[in-house]
Amino acid sequence: MTLLKPAMGRAIGWAALGALVVLALFGLWGAPPDAVQGDAQRLMYLHVPAAWVAYLAFGVTAAASGLWLWPRTRSMVWDRIAGASAELGVVFTALTLVLGSLWGRPVWGVWWAWDARLVTTAVLLFLYLGYLALRRVPAAPEARAKRCAIAALVAFVDVPIVHFSVTWWRTLHQDATVFDPALKAHIHGVMAFTLWFGVLAFTLVYVSLLDRRYRLAALEEDLDARELEQAIAERVAGAGTPAPRDREEVGVV
Amino acid sequence: MSDVGYVVAGWSITGAVLLGYWLWLVRRTRRAERLDGDA
Repeated sequence: MTLLKPAMGRAIGWAALGALVVLALFGLWGAPPDAVQGDAQRLMYLHVPAAWVAYLAFGVTAAASGLWLWPRTRSMVWDRIAGASAELGVVFTALTLVLGSLWGRPVWGVWWAWDARLVTTAVLLFLYLGYLALRRVPAAPEARAKRCAIAALVAFVDVPIVHFSVTWWRTLHQDATVFDPALKAHIHGVMAFTLWFGVLAFTLVYVSLLDRRYRLAALEEDLDARELEQAIAERVAGAGTPAPRDREEVGVV
Repeated sequence: MSDVGYVVAGWSITGAVLLGYWLWLVRRTRRAERLDGDA
């Protein structure tokens, strides 16, 4: 009932923890302060990796949803992966917005601006909150998986809009930090290393949490199915014995 | 608040969110495993 073998899952969990510690050392002390933004720029080492993982998580949700909808690959495994990854995407999108707000206050002078990147990211968060709410609407597993898969593919349309918003519109948010549209790097040395290491660390955290969330989803589905079977068995067993009220009515007749 | 204050707040919130979510997963999984064993 796990995505990864238990030993592999544990190894990735420990690697993620170790990578976060190394990231903290480089992000808070190893990397130099930015020439313009000073120490406030150290939030980039969390903000960018969190945004990357949000894209990754929603991409995995879309891919798994597509695989569920495709009749040849249809399996509840894909539905579980889609749900687990969407939940992680929501966590990391919320984190991206909070970290961006904390970074924006000292650099822009405001916590929030009605900027294309910020607004489209907030829309992304609400779209996937809606997706998670849809997953909780009671229905047969197949029917729920189908409508959620369609909703996930529709919601994913916002991901490229978020990413290219800084290119398509004039925004307060800065342009791409790592690569511009011509794939020219804008960050170098220890700062570039720390940023890439942050992306790696957050990706490991995502894989580790996805593995755990998938296992929880599988366990809970198993329990729900068993409870349903038990309730049906009790109802069927009870149908053979008249209820007290029925017995009285039989006596009257 | 100084720049360092925003940085410390950001790193603390990130740590708290990741740790909190991981603990929530561990607790829910243990509960589900216990119920699975009881059934």
